Amino acid sequence: MDADKSAMTQEHIGEIAEFISRYLSYMLGAGVHTSRVVRNSKRIGAALGTDVSIHTSQKTAMVTVRGRDVHFMDTRVVDIPAFPISFEWNADLSALSWAAYDRKMTLKEISDRFDELVSKPRMNPVFVLFMASLANASFCRLFGGDIWAMLITFTSTMIGFFTRQHLARRHVNHYIVFIVSAFVASICASTALSLGIDTAEIALATSVLYLVPGVPLINGVIDITDGHIQIGISRLVNALMLIVCIAIGMSGTLMLVKDSLL
Amino acid sequence: MIAADIISDGLFAAVAAMGFGSISDPPMRAFKYIALLAALGHATRYCLMTFLGVDIASASFVAAFIIGTGSVWAGKKVFCPMTVLYIPALLPMVPGTYAYKTVFSLIMFLQGISSPTQGSEYLQSMIFNGAVSFSVIFMLAVGATVPVFLLREKANSMTRGSRYI
Repeated sequence: MDADKSAMTQEHIGEIAEFISRYLSYMLGAGVHTSRVVRNSKRIGAALGTDVSIHTSQKTAMVTVRGRDVHFMDTRVVDIPAFPISFEWNADLSALSWAAYDRKMTLKEISDRFDELVSKPRMNPVFVLFMASLANASFCRLFGGDIWAMLITFTSTMIGFFTRQHLARRHVNHYIVFIVSAFVASICASTALSLGIDTAEIALATSVLYLVPGVPLINGVIDITDGHIQIGISRLVNALMLIVCIAIGMSGTLMLVKDSLL
Repeated sequence: MIAADIISDGLFAAVAAMGFGSISDPPMRAFKYIALLAALGHATRYCLMTFLGVDIASASFVAAFIIGTGSVWAGKKVFCPMTVLYIPALLPMVPGTYAYKTVFSLIMFLQGISSPTQGSEYLQSMIFNGAVSFSVIFMLAVGATVPVFLLREKANSMTRGSRYI
């Protein structure tokens, strides 16, 4: 371990701050709740012989790294990139912080391992597409839909989710992605109305639920109960905006098929 | 018949949790525990609401508490932080329809603003659905976090000594 006083130069503190700010921006960007990010970053800082203080908000974070027993410190403000939510990063990067702490890894080792972990491929998008459709069909069943409603929900979710994946890949604004995919999914599900299925309304209502941002909603409340009230409210407002977009997309469909609903 | 209802409720909740969870890219090793916890939690909520007449918010709290406690046990097995297991398991219980109806009622209220009777009906529906969805989401997250407060040491060292790093 390089925590002895002579190795603790301003430059080394700067390198540690550089790494920790990257680590925490990746974790916050991938939808990990705030208190875990703060705890893990402090743990890595402690493993490298420094004290870390963090201030977070929705789009930026501020990190101060102070060397123990020396007078050097480094403060920087980092932008939080918008990554898709990744529980795998959450698990792996948390484990990395413990490994750094327990095995007394050097900064070089930690940062190499970090690069390996974040460059792991994500889950196959076709598999995700299939799973999400299956999930929404089960959801339809939980709300009391019959087998035909389930089939229609499955198909319309597949088309809607496919739209979402493709628009997201083209970096379209995510509010527009949500409006368009909600509209596409619900217009597909509205075929249930013309097919005369008993539980057609349930199919129509559940077809857009794959878009509901459940993870930010729950993360927001977790943050609030942990005392990170500002960022918790930001997350909830963010999720609420997405729900509004879903409703806008779906009301487009409802206006088209209103007559057969009433 | 009752047993079949409960089992099918748990089964569909498990599929829903795995599917909605897969959007958020969890580690492969976590899937079976996500499914197990979701089935357990959702079936508990179903039983409480159907047979004991408990309201949706309290039933969600109990179910979330069970999921949270289960994730302490399962997290240690697969070296995953608790949130990786319990957030996907809670997703089938997020009141999506209520949240959607809240905003939908708002839109309909704005459209029917010229007719006072219809407008106030939608306003009432908005407040009703909004209150239910907010309290259910709040209860879900709090219920799952209570085990973290009770077992702080254990809950914060789930990934310590992970074999997957």
